[in-house]
Amino acid sequence: MTTETKANDAMSQEAVLQFKDLDVKFKTEFGRVHAVKGLTLDVRPGEVVALVGESGSGKSVTATTALGLLPGNASILGETIVANQSIGKLNGKQMRNVRGNHVAMVFQEPMTALNPVIRVGEQLTEAMEVHGVAFGKEAWARAVDLLKAVGIPNAERRAKQYPHELSGGMRQRVVIAMALSCDPAVIIADEPTTALDVTVQADILDLLRSLKDKLNTGILLITHNMGVVADMADRVAVMFKGEIVEQGTSEEVLLHPQHPYTKRLLDAVPHLGVGHGQFGEAVNPVTSTEKALEVENFVVEYKRTGKKPFRAVDDVTFDCRRGEIVGLVGESGSGKSTIGRALLGLIPVASGQAKVLGSDLTKVKGRELKELRSRIGVIFQDPAASLNPRLPVGDVIAEPLVVHNRGNAESRRQRVYELLDAVRLPRSAYNRYPHELSGGQRQRVSIARALTLSPDLLVADEPTSALDVSVQASVLEMFTELQKEFGFACLFISHDLAVIDSLAHRVVVLQYGKVVEKGTREDVLLSAQEEYTQRLLAAAPVPDPIEQARRRAERHALLESLGDRVAEIDTRELDQ
Amino acid sequence: MTDNKTPETAHGESYSVEDVLDQTTDKSFSQGQLVLRRFLRHKAAMTALVVLVLVILLAFTSIGVGPIPGWWDKDYLQFYVGTNPNPNGAPTLQLWPFSIGEHPFGQDTIGKDYFALVMRGAQVSLFIAFTVGIVATLLGTTIGSIAGYFRGITESLLMRTTDLFIIIPLLILAAVFGRTFGANVPLMALMIGLVSWTGLARLVRAEVLSLREREFVSAARAIGTPSTTIIRRHILPNALGTIIVNATLGISGAILVETAISFLGFGVRAPDTSLGLLIQTYQNALTTRPWLFWWPGIFILTIALCVNFIGDGLRDAFDPRQTVE
Amino acid sequence: MLKYVAKRLGQSALILLLGSVLIFVLVINSGDPLEDLRESQDPNRENRIAQRTLAMGLDKPWFVRYANWFSGVAKCVIGQCDLGTNREGQAVTALVASAAGSTLRLVTLATLLAIVVGVTLGIITAVRQYSGFDYAMTFMAFVFFSLPVFWFAVLLKHYAAIQFNDWIPDAHFSPTTIIVAGIVAAVILVAALGGSWKRRLITFLVTFGIVSGVLAYFDAVTWFRRPAVGLPVYILATIGAAVLVIILTSGFQNPRVRNAVGATALVSIVGFVVMRPMLMAPREDPATFSGATWMLLGCFAFAIVAAVVAGQLLGGFSRRQATLASVVLALISSVLAFADLMLSNWSQYIAVISRPIPTIAAETPNFQSTYWNHMIDTATHLILPTMALMVISIASYIRYTRASMLEVLRQDYIRTARAKGISERKVITRHALRNALIPLATIVAFDFAGLIGGAVITEQVFGWKGMGDLFQTGLRAVDPIPVMGFFLVAGGAAVTMNLIADLVYAVLDPRIAG
Repeated sequence: MTTETKANDAMSQEAVLQFKDLDVKFKTEFGRVHAVKGLTLDVRPGEVVALVGESGSGKSVTATTALGLLPGNASILGETIVANQSIGKLNGKQMRNVRGNHVAMVFQEPMTALNPVIRVGEQLTEAMEVHGVAFGKEAWARAVDLLKAVGIPNAERRAKQYPHELSGGMRQRVVIAMALSCDPAVIIADEPTTALDVTVQADILDLLRSLKDKLNTGILLITHNMGVVADMADRVAVMFKGEIVEQGTSEEVLLHPQHPYTKRLLDAVPHLGVGHGQFGEAVNPVTSTEKALEVENFVVEYKRTGKKPFRAVDDVTFDCRRGEIVGLVGESGSGKSTIGRALLGLIPVASGQAKVLGSDLTKVKGRELKELRSRIGVIFQDPAASLNPRLPVGDVIAEPLVVHNRGNAESRRQRVYELLDAVRLPRSAYNRYPHELSGGQRQRVSIARALTLSPDLLVADEPTSALDVSVQASVLEMFTELQKEFGFACLFISHDLAVIDSLAHRVVVLQYGKVVEKGTREDVLLSAQEEYTQRLLAAAPVPDPIEQARRRAERHALLESLGDRVAEIDTRELDQ
Repeated sequence: MTDNKTPETAHGESYSVEDVLDQTTDKSFSQGQLVLRRFLRHKAAMTALVVLVLVILLAFTSIGVGPIPGWWDKDYLQFYVGTNPNPNGAPTLQLWPFSIGEHPFGQDTIGKDYFALVMRGAQVSLFIAFTVGIVATLLGTTIGSIAGYFRGITESLLMRTTDLFIIIPLLILAAVFGRTFGANVPLMALMIGLVSWTGLARLVRAEVLSLREREFVSAARAIGTPSTTIIRRHILPNALGTIIVNATLGISGAILVETAISFLGFGVRAPDTSLGLLIQTYQNALTTRPWLFWWPGIFILTIALCVNFIGDGLRDAFDPRQTVE
Repeated sequence: MLKYVAKRLGQSALILLLGSVLIFVLVINSGDPLEDLRESQDPNRENRIAQRTLAMGLDKPWFVRYANWFSGVAKCVIGQCDLGTNREGQAVTALVASAAGSTLRLVTLATLLAIVVGVTLGIITAVRQYSGFDYAMTFMAFVFFSLPVFWFAVLLKHYAAIQFNDWIPDAHFSPTTIIVAGIVAAVILVAALGGSWKRRLITFLVTFGIVSGVLAYFDAVTWFRRPAVGLPVYILATIGAAVLVIILTSGFQNPRVRNAVGATALVSIVGFVVMRPMLMAPREDPATFSGATWMLLGCFAFAIVAAVVAGQLLGGFSRRQATLASVVLALISSVLAFADLMLSNWSQYIAVISRPIPTIAAETPNFQSTYWNHMIDTATHLILPTMALMVISIASYIRYTRASMLEVLRQDYIRTARAKGISERKVITRHALRNALIPLATIVAFDFAGLIGGAVITEQVFGWKGMGDLFQTGLRAVDPIPVMGFFLVAGGAAVTMNLIADLVYAVLDPRIAG
């Protein structure tokens, strides 16, 4: 059955979740915020509707109304209908009967969504007992079955464990199992894979897809990731500042977008395999043979009390030439950020060497080290945390000059103005405090600070991961321009293969602290040799539903050839 | 949630989620200014602040400080006989019509002016409380930030000292110091301050531990900023909330400790006096001359309550998360 | 776990040792131990000075004096404690032995009550955030927090005790009192429970009816002179408590918890019916008192063991919860039984002691009466000091619990729980409470140190010859030996409390044990 006929099929059935002219306002310290402005949308059984938007679009607020869980400072107009009941008209008891029973939710952050002091199994049985689905032993047995169904091995033992004993992907499966426990008609998945690694994300998406196919559950998928949309959705609604600007089938919206915002959003998504030049001009080819950074047999260990030290980076060797961008790729726990932090001298190096322009970072001390540090710039991931909230922007950018005692007050001010121009911020930002800037603007300030001393080497640790996709695009464009202008070598650390593809010259793939594969961008990303790289590439979704369906089939074939199972709900476990 | 302040006009062309930096005004608010603004709007804390300032002014201007005379004509050491129209030396303070009379707070058993005595007691108690608060804050901040930033020996020393103070109650140590230095009020205050820092130090340490993992500190370290500069410029300003809030709580704790040890007879010694000593001296007069008991108690309660409310207002101002309009 | 406990104990012993050196040195330097003799006109002055110098070892360096004291303490290991003698030559060991009991009783009772009351109020204020109840409670916590404990204690002594003692001879309420008390209780309960206007009205009327009705009944039968609970009320109360415990833990759907709690209730009731005559038996001979105490403790232990057995046997899948619920019920029913025994003897007690709330001493001096009259005597002496001591702790527990609870209620897993359709009551009791209690476990240790300090003051106000008195006279005389005796007991209690807090912490938080 193709997606299209299925969507038509679903059309004939009655909607399990409906929003009619939904309008939500919040009263805050700074006045009223109009979060959702007259939204109409419905979800039918066996259908995945994706609600797409960037931060502040009101997509999560919309979803939360379906469970009646908005905070008290919200005022809601319009109607949300779940299982033929209008949420606004229900009293407390009726509302609780709807929650979990008719509509269930999968949240973004699996690490915090489970109660740390209650066993996994008990958290699963709870909803069943509340809604009278099963009690006691029966409920426990069903909980174990649910865990098996969502693909958790050793379910009997896992059910007796506490959440902290499970990995992130495992916990998200538990959250999904919990959502399934009362056979809800509709599941709302709020960014269900955003906090997960890309291979785990692919598994969770496979699992969610099998829910609608096998259990005929309706799914409202909230996401900012166009690849996830292409992979999952039957229909798509694009939200911008509280309004749906466009909706239609995923082919219509993703392949033939009509609204300028949708077009802009899709243009901003980096495409894996397209290579350089996606955002503004392409980076210059590397001409120099001089090594800006040489990392050899690099080992970083974390001390643990009572156990032998944990090797986060294990015998890593790579280099980076002047004017070259080297992408460091890997999933969480691969040690990619640890390498960056060790190169910055933030954590000690156990053995090996790291030469920056000839001098070994692990050996030099005192003034020489300080001198060397002035030649390395750094950009961190979190724009909210990387700027001191107590210092105005001008002081932040000028700080490296002060620390290294360069110039006087006037020349420093001039330098800051130049840098503000370079990162396209108005000069009036000089006196602003970080909390007055948006995420993208803060990240521009971070980049300006990194470039203050015109470094030879820049360490960029996931610089765009916390940004919205359209902001990411403009930051990447600006970054490319600056790199061409300043000609610094760059170690670009990212988990996003598509971002790396859009600007790196060479790529190093890491897993469990070891280099799995390294080479030119073309070699690694277009014809990967190693199994792990292939898995990574296969798991990364692309924002084109037809292309993504093909890639998915390829991935499943790859998994089967490697002897792995495709994640799906095992209904046999539930029918017993 | 949504912090969506872009004017509708931004819709037209750009469809950008990034807010345009508002250039119409050049006015910027630093964190400190925002905190001050929130504090000034905190009604309970502002009321408490006004009351506390009035109490301090009253205590120090009325009978004067040291050689500087105040506006109150009576002394706390003199006896006044036959000046009080009320029997038993009862207070002459009248609320309606308002008049303070000869002895507004009454007189004690031997004819001392109780207003002057309570003012002197309040002076001494306030002096000790603020000295203890300031000494403990300086010490606690220094030790806490060193322990949190450098870890190592300082940290384990701090933690073991804290363990020590769990088994030796502060009041006990203060009493021993009071016994030793009670005749010398500033020295006693200093000594009590020297043993009251552990609570704040622990809190500052915890705060510093979390701040040093923040990316802006990492960024400062990566460009080679010296550790002292990092602590002074990046860490302490951000731990200011914790420090100020707990310094105020330290002051209210100190006033209770001082009055308590004076009450036990280990603190301030006669002929000088403190609010705790006054209560101890006259605790058996409660049935015959209740005012001798009530006034110093009310002053202690007022001062401690005001300081606590100010601390609470500061906490809300520094951490607005807990308050929703 | 055992290794962890051993390690903590070792650390604590080291800290105690260090603390003892510190206190010893500070105390011997806190003044002149011969001051009184130097100022005296006694012709025998020189002689007495020499005598005291010898007795206290004033001519020896501090470490020799400390070593002397410590060698006596070290004998505790072989069961022959010698805590030295004070400067009057009395053995401190004996002084400590007689003083420790009353002080520890006071401090422990105050701690437990403060935790129970403070945590309960803290939870309610957090759940009813920004309600009138919350504001009133927060304000009260501030007042308590700022209250000088000695001042409050003197007030209690002069007003609460004397007023009550004046009232008890005829023990009648005026109609105004009954109505006002009913309204006040109803207003407080309505503010605490909240809900819709209809529910509030019902709560108000029901509470007002019950409270004023009960007071009118008490008034009619002068219950406060002849209070009685009696077996029927005991049985009803135990069953009521069982129902409450079941509702608060699992709800009635879970048959295992229901059965376990039910079995515990049955055992408690039957046990008390059987044992009551024996426990009530009037004993006059002080020699039999310890036997009676052991019998009481035995009954208590039996109730707890029965609860654990019931929970384990009948708990099945919810064994842990069933055991917990049963133990809680056993505790409640034991307290009820104890209250019944005490109240049943009350009329006899006030026949002997006409002003039952004492303002001085830890027990009536030279009081010779029955076992239960002694029991009541100790209890009445505890009432005021405990109240005085509790206030500050209650204030800090309210504030910490409220903050901790509000923090927990903001967490994602609370949202998850609500999204499952769980009732708000269960969200609070099952999901939020336990997480909110985790940080509180560390507060208890610090709070306990404060309470020991507070106990010194309270004992002074109420004229107890307890540990505080030992400390004060020792310090006043610059005599380190009694102060050290105080320190050993107080420090030891603090260390124990700390250890219990650590263990509770590990039980509450599975992330520690794992």
